[in-house]
Amino acid sequence: MFELDSITAGYSGSVVLRDVSLWVPPRSVVALLGANGAGKTTLLRVASGLLKPSAGRMRLDGVDVTGKPPHVLARHGVCHVPEGRGVFPHLTVRDNLTIQATGGSAAEAVERAVSAFPILGEKLNQQAGALSGGQQQMLALAHAYVIDPSHVLLDEVSMGLAPVVVDEIFESLAKLAASGCALLLVEQYISRALELADYAYLITRGGIEFAGEPGELDGDQLTAKYLGTPLRS
Amino acid sequence: MTDLLPFLVIGLTTGSVYGLAAMGLVLTYKTSGIFNFAHGAIAALAAYAFYEVKVVRGLPWPVALLVAVVVLPPLVAMLMERVTRALAGATTTMKIVATIGIQLIITGALLAHYGAAGLTFPAFLPADTIELFGVYVGIDQLVSACVAALGALGFFVFFTFSPLGVRMRAVVDDPDLLSLAGTSPFAVRSWAWLIGSHFAAISGVLLAPLIGLDALLLTLLVVQAYGAAAVGLFASLPMTYAGGLLIGVLAALATNVVSGSVVLSGLPPAMPFLVLFAVLLLAGKRRLVDIGATRPTPPQPPLLGPRTARIVALVVIGIGIAVPFLVGAKLPVYANALVFVLIFSSLQLLVRTSGQVSLAHAGLVAVGAATFSHLAVGAGLPWLVAVLLAGAVAVPVGALVAIPAIRLSGLFLALATFGFGLLLENVVYRTGLLFGASGSLPAPRPDGLGGDLPFYYVLLGFAVAGVLLVAAVGRSRLGRLLRAMADSPTSLATLGLGVNVTRVTVFGISAFLAGVAGALYASQGHSATGTPFTSFTSLTWLTVLVLCGAARSAAPLAAAIVFAVLPAYGGGEADGSSGWMPVLFGVGALLVALHESSARRGRSHVSAEWPTGSRAAERIGSPGRAAARERVAHRDVDSAVRVRVGAAGGAR
Repeated sequence: MFELDSITAGYSGSVVLRDVSLWVPPRSVVALLGANGAGKTTLLRVASGLLKPSAGRMRLDGVDVTGKPPHVLARHGVCHVPEGRGVFPHLTVRDNLTIQATGGSAAEAVERAVSAFPILGEKLNQQAGALSGGQQQMLALAHAYVIDPSHVLLDEVSMGLAPVVVDEIFESLAKLAASGCALLLVEQYISRALELADYAYLITRGGIEFAGEPGELDGDQLTAKYLGTPLRS
Repeated sequence: MTDLLPFLVIGLTTGSVYGLAAMGLVLTYKTSGIFNFAHGAIAALAAYAFYEVKVVRGLPWPVALLVAVVVLPPLVAMLMERVTRALAGATTTMKIVATIGIQLIITGALLAHYGAAGLTFPAFLPADTIELFGVYVGIDQLVSACVAALGALGFFVFFTFSPLGVRMRAVVDDPDLLSLAGTSPFAVRSWAWLIGSHFAAISGVLLAPLIGLDALLLTLLVVQAYGAAAVGLFASLPMTYAGGLLIGVLAALATNVVSGSVVLSGLPPAMPFLVLFAVLLLAGKRRLVDIGATRPTPPQPPLLGPRTARIVALVVIGIGIAVPFLVGAKLPVYANALVFVLIFSSLQLLVRTSGQVSLAHAGLVAVGAATFSHLAVGAGLPWLVAVLLAGAVAVPVGALVAIPAIRLSGLFLALATFGFGLLLENVVYRTGLLFGASGSLPAPRPDGLGGDLPFYYVLLGFAVAGVLLVAAVGRSRLGRLLRAMADSPTSLATLGLGVNVTRVTVFGISAFLAGVAGALYASQGHSATGTPFTSFTSLTWLTVLVLCGAARSAAPLAAAIVFAVLPAYGGGEADGSSGWMPVLFGVGALLVALHESSARRGRSHVSAEWPTGSRAAERIGSPGRAAARERVAHRDVDSAVRVRVGAAGGAR
């Protein structure tokens, strides 16, 4: 169970999140939806410790982790796959995996990553920056396979990828969910995210607008929130 | 060829040590984003620590070596890591000022404690020579070169293959991502600082036997590392080491070429700066991107309202007029301070108004001083004409410094100007163009106003005129462009306004003021000499100005008082660049830099104190008719919004 309780956070003078509460129950998939600039990425950055909230508490399996730095949270099983390409471009694929293993066995890390994404096995000695976008995203996602995280935070992992690659990424997300770790999913493919999700949160201008099961979410209402204007019929 | 071989071998042995120092510099810069101007000072500190233990305490040399290269570096690394962490999010200027502050602290303390005269460094390696490729090489030199080469090679292997080395490269790529992967970037940086400090300390102990124990020379000689680092474009470690070798060889060959010429004797030590300058001028702009995003400084509302400010200014001028009757024999001190008001005004124009760090300022002042003497004594021009022409001559020199400014910004501009200043100091000062071989030229005072009292008022007139000029520039279109440029060069370019002409113009105006100040300084002291205008002085001036930054537009005045007046009442030092004063300035500048960056971080938490990033607040608070119009406009907008809000409320 990952609990974010009344989080307020922002950057240089502007408040992005106001009093946001969100739960990620164990072994569940939570979809976090919202328009551009609503605060989804900021919420994930708070959850993984990259951004300290100015108010509110965070609890991980009952332990207060508010204000803990990201590397401590990572060692407690929080795995954040950030927006963009979460790889070290000047390092080889093997070096990237070694770092993801956090001091664990490098050989085992490579084995796990290759069994999840076989294509990485052919690229071990290439620079990560030279991989295609899809392969880079797989390398970033491999982090969730290399360690055994309790919670995986995914920030638009399908962004800018070819449809066939997106399919592959979503398959791997389903596999991750089936393996028993909880996912907090920020996605642009709303319907695919909702298919996968057990719970959904809708965030609008830094506040939670809706929280519940995907079935309860009204499609028109969702569109309206994304477009920022109420739909007139 | 064979007669060049000895120089080649000597060049390679010293170059190897430069390469090692440069690798430490590049490592810490890449991993932390802070370019450590104090790198050379750390080397000097280690060499002096060795001297202290071996010579002063009389302990055997292995103990001294242990203290210098094993015990000392971790302490330095700890300090540097703490400073780096505190500087996260600071502006480039503050990052530069912070490490320059540390350099001043270390070098200033060494100079004040051990004196400026060089000491003999105890040789601890065997001085026998062996024959190598037909050249006799000292065993000590060979050992130094090999130690440095092994260190460089070992580090390269470590950096490429070890888990910690991989993490160091990862921290260069993306520190946030590294922390998400469960490794603390701070821990990795601490290791980088540790290794960097060790390399600096080792190179200091290896270089000291070759050049003697001279704090300034050691600090600057390990600055050879800058040139080597530039060859590696501040990124590639093997190329950096190769750059060290290249600079060593070039300097040795230059020694051969210029031997016998007094004028060019400064060329070999200036070689790294020629290399640095050349690389910065020639390398592609995209290859020299400063690490760490630079955010614009938030606007600073003026301390006083326009009317109060005007009254305060008049009171200050009144005090200036009254000073001769209050201070008695200390009048020359205050006359000097007036010259420094001009110097700091011209520096303020660059550093504060346009956000460009120039470390060649002392060089420009020296150019003014020497030119004045040539014109007034040599060509026999009237005093006032000579002073103004001295300023005019400094303008093209300032424009020459501005060439890198057009292409580079932030850190690389600071490095290029530093290199230029050292080049002036080492090569041009002693030529007939400036001070000549004797190093000193006569400088007259104006006819009829030559007494200390009348000349004081002449200087007061120049100081007031200079301050008014800078204030006028600040209010003019150019000033607006400068502030806009400091905020966002990109948006200025999208508006169709080129920044190149603006940058050169501001350097030109600043150089003119500096040149005039140089002429006045010479005139006040009856002689023009380059001694007070070293690169070390440039660094001190910058830190003093930053130290007085809280005084806003009155900072030049405050800086002049701190730099030129206070020391006269303290330990009796001539001015702020001697004795323990640089140490105090260094501490002060470091604290100011740390305070400013922590204040910036404080604002990055939620607060409504700075609602916008624009400079409207500064503009509105400032005197002048345009600002008054804006104030009125804002009041109108405010009330209009309130009316509209009221109407909306009523409609609901």
